[in-house]
Amino acid sequence: MVTALKESKGDKLFLVSTYIYLCLALVVVIYPLIYILSASISDPQDVNSGAMWLFPKNLTLDGYKLVFENPKIWNGYLNTIIYTVIGTLLNLVVTLPASYALSRSDFVGRQFFMGFILFTMFFSGGLVPTYLLIKNLGLINSMGALILPVAASVWNIVVARTFFQSTIPKELQEAAHIDGCTNLRLFIRIILPLSAPIVAVMALFYGVGHWNSYFPSLIYLNDETKYPLQMVLRQILVLQEMSAETTGAAISGEVAMAMNSKAETASLVKYGVIVVSTLPIIAVYPFLQRYFVQGVMIGSVKG
Amino acid sequence: MRGKRQLAVSGNPSLKNKSLGKRVLQNWELYLFMAPALLYFLVFHYGPMYGIQIAFKNFVPSKGITGSPWVGFDHFERFFNSYYFWDLLWNTFSISFYELAIGFPLPIILALAFNEVRTGPFKKTVQTVTYAPHFISVVVMAGMIITFLSPSSGIIIRVIEGLGFTPAAFLTDPAWFKTVYVMSGVWQSTGWGTIIYLAALSGVDPQLHEAAIVDGASRFKRMLHINLPTIVPTITIMLILNMGNILGLGFEKILLLQNSLNMEASDVISTYVYRAGLVNAQYSFSTAVGLFNSVVNVMLLVTVNKIARRTSENSLW
Amino acid sequence: MQITSKPWKLVLSGAMVLTLLAGCGTSNTAENTGEGTGGEVTVSKEGFPIVDKPVTLSLMAPDVGIQNWEDMVVLQQMKEKTGITLEYRNAPKDSFETKKNLVFASGDYPDILYAAGLTTAEQMNYGEQGILIPLEELIEEYAPNFKALLEENPDVRKSITAPDGHIYSLPVVEMSQHWYRNPLWYNGDFLKALKIDKLPETTEELYTYLKRVKEEDPNGNGVADEIPLSSVTVTSANLRDIRTWLLGAFGIYEEEIYVDDADKVHYTPMEEGYKEYLTFMNRLWSEELLDHESFSQTAEQKKAKAQNNRVGLFSDWHAYMTKGGEPSTEDPMFAPVKSDSVDKPAIAKNRGITTGAFAITESNPEPEASMRWVDYLYSYEGAMFFNKGPEGMLWEYTDKDARVKKYLPVPDGKEMEDYRATLTPNYGIPAPTLSMDDINKGLKTDFDLWVEQETQTKLLDKGARIPFPSLFLTVEEQTEINSLNSDLSTYVKQMEAKFITGAEPFANWDAYVDTVKKMGGERVAEINQAAYDRWKSN
Repeated sequence: MVTALKESKGDKLFLVSTYIYLCLALVVVIYPLIYILSASISDPQDVNSGAMWLFPKNLTLDGYKLVFENPKIWNGYLNTIIYTVIGTLLNLVVTLPASYALSRSDFVGRQFFMGFILFTMFFSGGLVPTYLLIKNLGLINSMGALILPVAASVWNIVVARTFFQSTIPKELQEAAHIDGCTNLRLFIRIILPLSAPIVAVMALFYGVGHWNSYFPSLIYLNDETKYPLQMVLRQILVLQEMSAETTGAAISGEVAMAMNSKAETASLVKYGVIVVSTLPIIAVYPFLQRYFVQGVMIGSVKG
Repeated sequence: MRGKRQLAVSGNPSLKNKSLGKRVLQNWELYLFMAPALLYFLVFHYGPMYGIQIAFKNFVPSKGITGSPWVGFDHFERFFNSYYFWDLLWNTFSISFYELAIGFPLPIILALAFNEVRTGPFKKTVQTVTYAPHFISVVVMAGMIITFLSPSSGIIIRVIEGLGFTPAAFLTDPAWFKTVYVMSGVWQSTGWGTIIYLAALSGVDPQLHEAAIVDGASRFKRMLHINLPTIVPTITIMLILNMGNILGLGFEKILLLQNSLNMEASDVISTYVYRAGLVNAQYSFSTAVGLFNSVVNVMLLVTVNKIARRTSENSLW
Repeated sequence: MQITSKPWKLVLSGAMVLTLLAGCGTSNTAENTGEGTGGEVTVSKEGFPIVDKPVTLSLMAPDVGIQNWEDMVVLQQMKEKTGITLEYRNAPKDSFETKKNLVFASGDYPDILYAAGLTTAEQMNYGEQGILIPLEELIEEYAPNFKALLEENPDVRKSITAPDGHIYSLPVVEMSQHWYRNPLWYNGDFLKALKIDKLPETTEELYTYLKRVKEEDPNGNGVADEIPLSSVTVTSANLRDIRTWLLGAFGIYEEEIYVDDADKVHYTPMEEGYKEYLTFMNRLWSEELLDHESFSQTAEQKKAKAQNNRVGLFSDWHAYMTKGGEPSTEDPMFAPVKSDSVDKPAIAKNRGITTGAFAITESNPEPEASMRWVDYLYSYEGAMFFNKGPEGMLWEYTDKDARVKKYLPVPDGKEMEDYRATLTPNYGIPAPTLSMDDINKGLKTDFDLWVEQETQTKLLDKGARIPFPSLFLTVEEQTEINSLNSDLSTYVKQMEAKFITGAEPFANWDAYVDTVKKMGGERVAEINQAAYDRWKSN
């Protein structure tokens, strides 16, 4: 931030109201988050009756115990980390060069390529042909099925392109070319280092996508040892959610007993799972925030 | 690789006068940049595209997509002739626009506010906390909404009562459904939505601010005339992209908040298709409805893009 | 599936590049099953093992995620016993439908579908297309147990036979569970506090009970926080738990389709009795005897209310599951009440069979062996084995000839149901099997016996019957019903809520019926009538 020597009254007022606004946002958002944390360690009955509304009541760790006693959970974490890291790297390799190319006004055919990509945002062949494609590529039950079909997203390409277009001065590119710099060198040596914020954003968007994804693993994976965290957690939740879905329509006594034995911990696990699956990814965010500080890049352009 | 002379030419402002071939050649590397993305979209998106035809067919699994019998526009007719067609369309549009009207500007305002605050623990905390709700699953989200708004025990209801007002039947009154849906969505995604604008704000030139300070511009003025214009291109593009997704309203959260009392306000295209699919795996029908959505969305996108291109220099193409 | 379009070729050339990237992929062994085992396997018609050479088949089932199926004792012993190795291509239970549809649509079937819950429409569809193979001849030759079952119960055969005369799936046969849906239970504490020793028998008496719950503070906490009757919102069925039992008071057996004693099929939402039901419910609503949160609360919220001893009448499998605490014979089962317009209440009884539990696909190289395998599950011995695991783990015989058993202590202090779930796949899924009283012989608690007694005297002895048999519609009928129902059921559900809550006055009843007719309510009854007549004459 620019440090002004003198702050006028108006400026101070403006700053104060900004702080108030942010504090308000903080309170509004943090309450349900605390609620989730508390609900994950409170007696479910107190949660459901509304007796627990802020701080935990009748402490219990059964929910977490149930999650962490599951032998698949650590393997799930490991798998998710692997899929997220490799998947995100692939995403960046595919997305960044393409968005940069599309941002260049002297790139002949960029309109066509843009249209070619945008079309897929609206029209898709659907689940069945996609499944057949993955099957015919021999990717069923492999990591490839989780990573390759989501190697890029139109949305992110467009966002990155907009960033390159609006922040990289045209003169920079022209100057580089006059200096005899190739497009490849220009991109790697100059553009990328200047674009740390968008690289961070893309890594975050794609990374979170991989982290939260379960549908591809549901469809394409058969082998449980390859399940990512979200799949494992879903499995834990399956029984818990049965109670809600079959209310009033019992199939057999045996099912009802199964449901009942799980229903007790249902809400505990539901909230616990949120905490378990999101804490790691939330923890990543503060590290990325330093790329969002004003002026990190422009200084180097002028230099 | 290329001779220095040729590259030097590429910096020439009289670029436009060159032949197409030369213009292609001098940026040959950019085509390499595009190649992985193109290959990806070709294989994984255009490859399965033939599946769209089942919207005009009665999909029979054993006969395959190409072998199933054609039925023309039957599925579209069934959808258009549905008793609820206009309700569904209205609900889908109104929820989407409501969401856009409230949910679109808020992240921009929040991002601008973040930008004014000095980097430190406070900023970091607020940023991280507001970003966190994005990760709450739909099931838990809906569960919390129902708990907080429960007439007998909900915290929000108790607060409203405590303030001396009579709370509305938020969960069952059709008039409130859209507000509940949109506001909870805003709560969940505003913080996440700031990220892209924060990245764009990092492109603000500090020298502009220094110059403005010298000129005696207030903080608010500087925000309005320096920071905001910097992110306008991003705002425009995000708006266009959002407009292109108007009918793409998801079904999960709505379904979880839906009940027979608020149904007239809460039933949208995606929940309708979901129910149709529950009865029977109706691939053809849901593909047809999906295709209808896509066509409407594309028309919206093209229109908005045209407007954007006329009124500013920012557009998708 | 054959794809010959040009884009496909492009895709395939891309495939070569991509397979290099996908180096970590393992080949899908399930696809090649059967081919390696050759054609000369002999399947014995009785005794074990079933096959003379090892056979490997792939099986797909919903998985509740407690134990890998490979590690389940029951399935391991079954493999040794039969000589048939199964490879599991399971999908988590909550997403099983998605995966099942995909598997059918993509042509990549498993050899066996287990506990798949195939709808009659799916059976016919996929049967007609040859994806599921007809089983009737296999039953004749290779399923002595199931064949005997069909001979004893001709209705079962009627109900599992598709209109084209073929049997495409084997059912879950339930001989000991008679409830149509979870019963309603009275809160015994309230009955005691209100000194009620005779349960309500008419709608008026029921009304009086609910009214007293509301007004006389039966939980004795000095606050009028009692909720006489409570229901929950479920995605597709608000009030279903109450509706199921109250419709009978007005002579209606089922919420959608039922057949009366003169073999006439009715579509409930346009019946006069349905109007009376709505009127009664509206009365309960307007006097706050029906929980006003019934349309918006979750099952957990209702449960929390009941656990604070606030609810007077509620639905669950057993009362204690909602009320909390130990199983108790103090909370009596709701005995269906009657209104003035009928002589006796209509009571629905469980159909006893659920079709679509087991099917064999065309890719199965050993249909005969598969049939023998599943037939075991329809014998007492096999049903027992799959229900509770092998003797000596969860239970043991005290008198083997009389089939009397007792439970053994569960290792590691686990819950019995959790332990059972690690032994056998038949946990929480509609698996093909025969459930009969003998299975639980000796294992029943006093509470179980009491519940049976309640069921006998309050439902079965009072004339409970199956409201509408489990039957098949033809493909055309099914298509028409599906397309009618998508709007019709939405409309009916909305209007039910509106009539009950008073948002729609009963003056508009005729307009409502007209709309239902316009949307095809009569046609739904007609189609089902035709199907019923066919079923009846078979």
